[in-house]
Amino acid sequence: MESKHYDVVIVGSGISGSVIAKTLTNAGKKVLILEAGLQAGIALEGEAAYNVYQDYIRTFYNAPAKVPNSPYPDLKDAPSIDVLQIQKLQPGQVPPPGYLVQKGPLPFASDCMRGPGGTTMHWLGTTLRMLPNDFRMKSVYDQNVDWPISYEHLKPFYEMAELEIGVSGNVQDQHYPGIGPDFFGEDYVYPMRKIPQSYMDGLISKKTDRLKVTVNDKTYQLSCISTPQGRNSVPNTRYAYSKIIWDKTKKKLRLAKADQYNNIPSLWDNYTGERCEGNASCVPICPVQAKYNALKTLKKANKENLEVSTRSVVSRIIIDKKNKRVEGIEYKRYENPGEPEHTNLTAKGTIYVLAASAIENAKILLASDAANTSDQVGRNLMDHLVMLTWGLSKEKVYPYRGPGSTTNIPTFRDGEFRKEHAAWISPIDNWGWSWPVFSPGSDVSAAIANGLFGKALRDHINEVVTRQVLLHFEVEQSPEPENRVTIDPAYKDALGNYKPVIHYSVSDYMLKSFEAAKIVSDQIFEANDIEDHTVYNPVTDPDYVVYKGQGYTFRGAGHIVGTHRMGFTKDDSVVDKDQRCWDHDNLFLAGCGNMPTLGTSNPTLTMTALAFNVAENILKQL
Amino acid sequence: MSDLLNKIYTGSTTQPGNPKRQKLIKPLPAVSPARLFAVEGAEKAQLPQPLIKTLDDLKRNLQTAVELEHSTIPPYLCALYSIKEGTNTVASTIIRSVVVEEMLHMILAANILNAIGGKPVINQKEFVPTYPGYLPGSDKSFIVGLEKFSKESIDVFLKIEKPSPPLPKFDPEQAADLLFEDPGFQTIGQFYQAIMLGIEYVNENTPGGIFIDDPEVHKRQVTQEHYYGSGGMIVPVYSIENAREAIEEIVGQGEGIDDTIDDSDAKLFGQTTEYAHYFRFNELLMERMYAEDDTPKSGPTGDPIVVDWIAVHNMKANPKVEDYKDQPDLLTKAKEFNQSYTQLLDQIHKACNGEPEQLMKGIALMYKLKYLATELMNIPLGDSGMMAGPTFEYEP
Repeated sequence: MESKHYDVVIVGSGISGSVIAKTLTNAGKKVLILEAGLQAGIALEGEAAYNVYQDYIRTFYNAPAKVPNSPYPDLKDAPSIDVLQIQKLQPGQVPPPGYLVQKGPLPFASDCMRGPGGTTMHWLGTTLRMLPNDFRMKSVYDQNVDWPISYEHLKPFYEMAELEIGVSGNVQDQHYPGIGPDFFGEDYVYPMRKIPQSYMDGLISKKTDRLKVTVNDKTYQLSCISTPQGRNSVPNTRYAYSKIIWDKTKKKLRLAKADQYNNIPSLWDNYTGERCEGNASCVPICPVQAKYNALKTLKKANKENLEVSTRSVVSRIIIDKKNKRVEGIEYKRYENPGEPEHTNLTAKGTIYVLAASAIENAKILLASDAANTSDQVGRNLMDHLVMLTWGLSKEKVYPYRGPGSTTNIPTFRDGEFRKEHAAWISPIDNWGWSWPVFSPGSDVSAAIANGLFGKALRDHINEVVTRQVLLHFEVEQSPEPENRVTIDPAYKDALGNYKPVIHYSVSDYMLKSFEAAKIVSDQIFEANDIEDHTVYNPVTDPDYVVYKGQGYTFRGAGHIVGTHRMGFTKDDSVVDKDQRCWDHDNLFLAGCGNMPTLGTSNPTLTMTALAFNVAENILKQL
Repeated sequence: MSDLLNKIYTGSTTQPGNPKRQKLIKPLPAVSPARLFAVEGAEKAQLPQPLIKTLDDLKRNLQTAVELEHSTIPPYLCALYSIKEGTNTVASTIIRSVVVEEMLHMILAANILNAIGGKPVINQKEFVPTYPGYLPGSDKSFIVGLEKFSKESIDVFLKIEKPSPPLPKFDPEQAADLLFEDPGFQTIGQFYQAIMLGIEYVNENTPGGIFIDDPEVHKRQVTQEHYYGSGGMIVPVYSIENAREAIEEIVGQGEGIDDTIDDSDAKLFGQTTEYAHYFRFNELLMERMYAEDDTPKSGPTGDPIVVDWIAVHNMKANPKVEDYKDQPDLLTKAKEFNQSYTQLLDQIHKACNGEPEQLMKGIALMYKLKYLATELMNIPLGDSGMMAGPTFEYEP
């Protein structure tokens, strides 16, 4: 059977795949998306979209552990990472359960969502841009590597990303270290006004904003600022754009002017999701879809030009040995996600895009022996290393009012200290102690064990949970070649595709940040009269590390980055500055895997900006 | 004359600001009634007078419009909240979509009233209807009550949203009967047509017009910034054009069609079209969606809708707080509901009287009402076999 020929074949319907598909189809190109997940999940309208989403919500409500992937189906034929299954592989032993094969020395504790909409289904929604110095770490601080593109190059694409996602925020609040007046354009505003900062943030900010802290013999003045977010709020009447269009003559994407910005409600109807309601379950699921997800972008694609093939798990790309061009993508189409039966198919197009997540992209390239002249495929795996500190405030702070996080401390996002240790950002979390100790469930269990019930139990919970404060230090991880994804024929999934084998560790440049961050945390707790309850447990915490005799625990941020970095030459990187593979001129890679470094921003906004850049480059090449 | 006819009988087929929503209503006359009914050679004094001919008339009728829009909400909410959680998702979605559009209509009516110097009154005892009762301004041909979701209650909803009869072939005499002399209105659409004609008439006969061009008055408008989630567009009203757009939005969403509902062969439906309340309720009653090629005459022939008429809390019809006096806990809860409802009305009143940002605060109250209503519907009413329900009584 001869398969249809498309202008572009895209692997994955997450935010990168959706942005590229939307942009290309609206510019008249024929696109096929191969999506590993189920058909139901791709519903973009009406009752079908409503029903599948309600299913996710019910699954989440019933899940004993509310981990990021808990609402979404985990398929035998296209497994997702489960952060509860990160046990290390022991030599000579049967591999423990879980999709990732963890070779260590430390387990990799982040996940992504493998299915329609990708990880934007469970993302928090924080949309901070990276800082100019994040793109030139080598030249400025002699650490890590420089990007082949600058902040200035990416700036117009950031504006597109902020429109596409629908960012709510106040530009006036956005003071970060190391930025100039041109960081945002003159008079720039976000599409929507900022999400109101939570009650708790107000209390903490009162004593933390302008607080002077000393760390490593230097004094810093902290600031607390509102966090821009990809969830609906009040449209800003000064925002003047409505869509992103391909300018054929100038061969550029640009924002198109409009009288007003209309925010994007839920997929299923226009009556839901036009404003964040503060349900506080953003991760793993916004019950009203006020939070952006990639399906909202896919819905805006030109349906005439788009085909989505679900249940289609890519196993390999086929490369013409002579001219090194990609000839097709092999995928396995299963009928039932729990059974290994499948059909082998090949998709063909003029240009191909892998947008299947940093780990899957690397895996597919390795399985195809593709794009790897530099030997960088799979290497430089990074994540934000999340060190948490938690305590009880004297005054009731009432967490869970509003979305997950509305305020952050940007003070340590950039500075001379980056010569010595990694940068970090400190979001103020709005979820009590749920992350480190599973509150409030654990509080209830403990109280019941102490004989409390009825009103006494309720009063106790009201006393305790309302005082829970959580601080969060997201440390930038450096690219290191030995932190990597590999494949091994010994480890395959139900369809016979490779499982990712992960090698992962953390070096001193980051450990030194844990030490510094804990010192800062102590001073914040002291200023706010918060009793520190932080415990780092060497036995039960999977990612427990020791630095200068002191133990720290970090957690995964779900920011999986760096496995097919972009760079300056075909010897140092997998893709060029256009995000095209050095080795194959009709193969583009998309997603966080292209990022040479991570910075201190949650990477989705940057990934989206990069995806628009990819779309523009493809349109130029077609 | 043919130009005028064209203006009455034709027009774009979609509504401004929302290309997906069909403008199924007859386009409202774009010219003043005086000129509309000018017969060659006739004296101005001999022309028919519109029903609404003074600014005070107009303000009074717009206040009635606000009351009318509100009066449909408690009945719809009772039906909605009586549906047992997790069942009847399509029915819930349809009723909910109608409720939020009625809220939009209420605010739109208030915007028009504010634009001509009126002051909407929403936080008074008299504002709250007594159920069962007639709709404000109606011709008293049917009664509306607070009832659980059932075929009977949906049938009443269909009457509420019933489209106007078609405009007759152009005949000034007949049109005058229809539009100008009818005391009490058969349909909501007729009522708004009378209002629109009144606006045209009074505006034309008032030196400088009736739309007040003053920043202080403009600030009383509820705009997109404050109002959302309605499916439709909030229209701030600063001019007669805005007023027309607002009324078209109200009438278009409500009843929709420029023809009698049984006779039209127009193809109006399809997945991407947002069609009027009448047809959405009709889908429920018929337990079937409209398909793309359906017409009002054919009725819905599309996919079946699963309606579980049994999965409903057996709420007593038209309950009163008085009915709960032997059950103190229930009484407290019912009163709490009414207090929250009254508080919400007060917030909406403030929002429509110069403090539009108050609307934002209403969200939490709306959720509270939902939770309390659901709790009430889970409480048995003595041994009657029926359940309690919200009474929607004024309780400051």
